[in-house]
Amino acid sequence: MKTIKVSFRVNDETVAFQVKPYETLLETLRERIDLIGSKEACGMGACGACTVIVDGIPLRSCLVLTPEVNGASITTVEGLAKDGNLHPLQEAFMEKGAVQCGFCTSGMIMTAKALLDRNKKPTQKEVIKTMSSNICRCTGYKKIVEAVEYAASRRTSAG
Amino acid sequence: MILPKFDYKKAEDIAAAIALYERSKGRACYLAGGTDLIPLLKLRLSEPSAMIDLKGIPQLKTISRKGNSLVIGPNVTLFELKNHETVKDYFPALYESLDATSCETLQMRGTIGGNILQNTRCLLYNKSLDWRTARGFCYKMGGETCNVVPNAAACFSNYCSDNALSLLSLSASVKLAGPEGERKIKLEKLFSKDGRNPFTLKPGEILTEFHIPFKRSTGAYEKLRVRNAIDYPLLGVAVSMIGGKGKVCVGGIGPAPLVYDLKDLSGAGLKEVAQQARQEARPVSNTTLSAGYRKKMVNVLTQRAIKRALKEGK
Amino acid sequence: MKDDLNIVGKRVVRSDSLAKVTGRARYTADLKFPNMLVAKVLRSPLPHARILGIDLTAALKVPGVKAAISGFDTYGVKWGVFRYTQDHDMLPTDKVRYIGEDVAAVAAVDEETALEALSRIQVDYEPLPAVFEPNEAMQEGAPQIHDAYKNNINVHVHINVGDVDKAMSEAFLVREDTFKAAGEAYAMMEPYAVVASYANGFLDLWMPNAGPHVRAKALSNLLKMPLNRVRVRHINSGGAFGGRSEVSPGDLVASLLSIKAGRPVRLALSREENATSTRQVHDMIATVKTGMSKDGAIMAKDYRVIYDGGAYSSTGPIATSIPFYVYEECYRFPNVRYNGYRVFTNKGIRGMYGCHGRAFIAGNEAQMDLMGKELGMDPVDIRLKNGLTSGEVTATQSKITSCGLAETIATASERTNFKEKWTKTSKGKGIGMGCIAIMCGFPMGFRSGSSCYVKMNDDGQATLVTGLVDNGQGNESMVIQVASEILGIPMEDVNLVNADTEATNLDPGAYSQAAAFVGANAVRIACENARKKIVAIAAEKLGVKEADIDLRDRMAFSRKTPGKNMRISWVVREAFFRGDPIVATGTYFPSIDFEREWVSRPWGQMAGTFSFGTSVAEVRIDGQTGKITVPHFTAAHDCGRPINPMAVEGQMEGSIQQAGIATIMEENLWNKGFLLNPDLLEYKVPLACDMPEIETIIVSSIDPEGPFGAKEGGLTIRMNAYSAIACAVANATGTLFSELPLTPDRVLNILERKKGAKK
Ligand SMILES: Cc1cc2nc3c(=O)[nH]c(=O)nc-3n(C[C@H](O)[C@H](O)[C@H](O)COP(=O)(O)OP(=O)(O)OC[C@H]3O[C@@H](n4cnc5c(N)ncnc54)[C@H](O)[C@@H]3O)c2cc1C
Repeated sequence: MKTIKVSFRVNDETVAFQVKPYETLLETLRERIDLIGSKEACGMGACGACTVIVDGIPLRSCLVLTPEVNGASITTVEGLAKDGNLHPLQEAFMEKGAVQCGFCTSGMIMTAKALLDRNKKPTQKEVIKTMSSNICRCTGYKKIVEAVEYAASRRTSAG
Repeated sequence: MILPKFDYKKAEDIAAAIALYERSKGRACYLAGGTDLIPLLKLRLSEPSAMIDLKGIPQLKTISRKGNSLVIGPNVTLFELKNHETVKDYFPALYESLDATSCETLQMRGTIGGNILQNTRCLLYNKSLDWRTARGFCYKMGGETCNVVPNAAACFSNYCSDNALSLLSLSASVKLAGPEGERKIKLEKLFSKDGRNPFTLKPGEILTEFHIPFKRSTGAYEKLRVRNAIDYPLLGVAVSMIGGKGKVCVGGIGPAPLVYDLKDLSGAGLKEVAQQARQEARPVSNTTLSAGYRKKMVNVLTQRAIKRALKEGK
Repeated sequence: MKDDLNIVGKRVVRSDSLAKVTGRARYTADLKFPNMLVAKVLRSPLPHARILGIDLTAALKVPGVKAAISGFDTYGVKWGVFRYTQDHDMLPTDKVRYIGEDVAAVAAVDEETALEALSRIQVDYEPLPAVFEPNEAMQEGAPQIHDAYKNNINVHVHINVGDVDKAMSEAFLVREDTFKAAGEAYAMMEPYAVVASYANGFLDLWMPNAGPHVRAKALSNLLKMPLNRVRVRHINSGGAFGGRSEVSPGDLVASLLSIKAGRPVRLALSREENATSTRQVHDMIATVKTGMSKDGAIMAKDYRVIYDGGAYSSTGPIATSIPFYVYEECYRFPNVRYNGYRVFTNKGIRGMYGCHGRAFIAGNEAQMDLMGKELGMDPVDIRLKNGLTSGEVTATQSKITSCGLAETIATASERTNFKEKWTKTSKGKGIGMGCIAIMCGFPMGFRSGSSCYVKMNDDGQATLVTGLVDNGQGNESMVIQVASEILGIPMEDVNLVNADTEATNLDPGAYSQAAAFVGANAVRIACENARKKIVAIAAEKLGVKEADIDLRDRMAFSRKTPGKNMRISWVVREAFFRGDPIVATGTYFPSIDFEREWVSRPWGQMAGTFSFGTSVAEVRIDGQTGKITVPHFTAAHDCGRPINPMAVEGQMEGSIQQAGIATIMEENLWNKGFLLNPDLLEYKVPLACDMPEIETIIVSSIDPEGPFGAKEGGLTIRMNAYSAIACAVANATGTLFSELPLTPDRVLNILERKKGAKK
């Protein structure tokens, strides 16, 4: 099968490759550019551990074909910290103890980021609803929800 | 998990998509959000030669009013549709079913077209090739038997679209375009009632529009699931009412939704519909909760949905 | 011991979290090495069959395939935790015993090639009759899964204390009930993966594990390689919950392929393979007979518990015992008889689970509520009446040292207004309580203890070297905190080398609740020894008494005249200069009875200490659908001193999800030996929206032996949260359940039976 030329922006860098037409975005990120922060936990779209943000929308990258994101702008967990400063969500996850084994963490943070980008001050109910897109096996979600609310409050108070 | 080999093509308009399909000699497959299709490919339940991506066709992404209808493009995502200004007001059953579909992230990728055209499901079908080979192929995989109900003559896989139910309750119809031209049919006519091949789509046909009569309705959607997100319906009931008449649609059990007219709004009349739905629903042991339980719940959820739809109307 | 603590007991940010929130933390499947191959495993499609032959020739001819193996390439050494349970040929040559069992494997340049090669492997099987239910497997004439175990009885644990029959005949109230529970899936987020790299006679391995040393030892046996040539390396692990404790067939597969190919090999299982072919949880049937005196004291317990053991022994004797022990460590049983049978079936391999034993424990607790009610006692009083207190000895002769059980019961019930809610139930509402004790460690011979080295580096930083492993609980951060406290340097100055069998010493691992009590204790001792050396030099240099020296914020100073101080780094340099650098070791061995054995001698001191906990669940039941919701969940845990309260809370909250909410939704579903839900869609791991409002209460009882008084963080809730839910449902429905999980269909059955009985 012939490969397809794909180019997109990922974490503010433009990349271009020849990819297999049946390659998933998760494979491309992990295998071609070593962005291993996105995890394959189920491979079937059920858990959200591979969530990345594509043109503002959180996507399960295990269900996306790389050719589909040609020309898109992608953010992965590796792209959140800017100029050596962690994203408020990353700080909040640390400070609130929302991280245990860490395997779901990047997907959780990306899901939360997409939420805060479209809704600056979500209610707790809204946070829970959004975060119910992702599975965590360790935390019971309490500290994850707290972290997202905390990050939102810090972001709004900071303007 | 890696995908089987296939080619990828992106279509710019409907005609181009159909042309690509024809060129593939019928072995290609249309791709919208991929949230139903990609898992099936990963499990080798479908091995098309090419994906024809419809997401680049602007016309399929719009929502507009045409005459007495709301016209919805199939590539509108569930999330966009849910948040469209008219949906909550005019079509509460649809709003609720959209809101109850999987989870927010999947709603942002999954489209309404893909949702309606999602394949039917079964605990013994949605499995890897290795798993299925070990178990033996069933009707839906091209085999000669049903792995759930021995000696059954038909496939009992479940059609699990939440939103087909509400759209049916709203008397929606669909427009299709294919190699043989265009047609418009009632949404009900889209279902073949055969779990092996659940739709009456002709080869290469594209769903191009949904039409919903633009009348303010009252309604409700009730969904049976174990977890309150991500899960497919183990049973879904949508009810929409306009001017004292309505429709009740029951799905998640068997290969096609059941649709009932609601005319007699007396207590007895409502119970009768619920009872009839319960009798006609044929759940088998192919989901996580027991079949007997799901059958009982047809009655319970139908009554609940009707009650809520009526209450809202007041 | 110091009392004015700076870091221990504080809600500190875990040391591992920065790497995890930035996506930089590496897990096994993230590893990449030059020339690395991809491995894939061919699995048994049959639940039970004789292997007549395996032909790898065609697979080896596929271009890009670098190695192919089957059981005929192994030494045929069988794995078992105990000498008497060595029955697991991790690549079998005689028979396959479950669907999904590893049969052959290939390593190739990429996954597509490997899959292509797998499809060309020829295996000839002669199918054999299979058996899937332990009750059937125990019958005469049932298919024999292993020749050595008659009637498929793999393990029989028999405990008999006092005179049960006599006590039962004298009891005021006697009740017998049977409870069933489906096995759960560990469903750790990380699917199993192994990277093996063989070069120059050394095999390096990475995989999620809960004890690198036992893993390396097992593999050195299976591969007939000297132990020092099998090196299990440190790597992050995406959850374990008991499921990563033992050597896995994938370890052998990846190792053999790497040895054959002479190249690094990565084997990453799919989610489905992780479910079908790594370990699963035991299904169980527990018959619980209890005799009580008129005042509610338990006089006798008589148990018959059947564990569905799947195809191989695994940790069989331990799994067959633990539910009983955590219960007898909680309550006083003057007379008790326990018959635990672990039975082979043609299902996947099973292991210990953090929430192991829900049928038994929840059954006991719910039955106790019912009996108490008959005697006019509520769940609080009956638990207080029977609960062990510090200084008491359990039925099988373990002395309880520190014990905050009563306090956890009291706080949890006060906070929830338990007594009132329990008595005045309103329709569809219920409240329930579950208690448990947990042994912090158990006898594992010379592996029961842990050793640590610490060395001070010339800039005043420290490096800890310990075998302790972290599966996500926060063990690494915990020992860094301990070291930081003792050495007077911030956490970021403590470097950790851990869970690497080449560099580190033995540690009991992260599966016996011993990480804090044993592992961190060894770290504490090592650091205290290093501290003594620092203090000695500082005292000499500053001209004050050693007792006057304290270490804090990278400084050594006089407590009396804080102006007299010096940097710890100077002390360290001085020590180098003197040719006696500051290095120290520490070892901790809990005082346990090493004669104790799970089957042959089930008595004696089990562990150095025990933790205690009480959970209270409040449930609502939809009377029409049977669907349960859990608005509130309260958990009180005596963990000794919490080293990091935030981490302990996290463990408790996770337990409420994994044991508590699991009780209404989690189960592995089977059909003819096929696992029906080997995924994260149909296996129901609770979601954020399914969780209750949670209140966690840490009851600190400073343990005299534990590091800074710590015992264990969170496992009590993992072992009692299901009881709280099940008891709450019993409270709401007024009936005992007979089967877990309490999915809506089962609950509706309970409600309907109850209605039927009323009519
Ligand atoms: C974990 C998980 C949970 C889910 N839960 C639910 C749930 O609760 N309820 C529910 O209803 N669904 C659920 N889904 C299924 C799916 O996400 C949704 O149904 C979604 O709306 C499908 O849309 P899509 O655009 O992704 O479809 P795709 O996967 O792109 O397409 C689905 C099918 O429709 C065909 N198709 C798509 N568009 C057209 C068109 N315009 N013309 C012709 N053919 C077309 C495709 O060829 C394919 O066969 C779930 C999926 C996952 C992975």
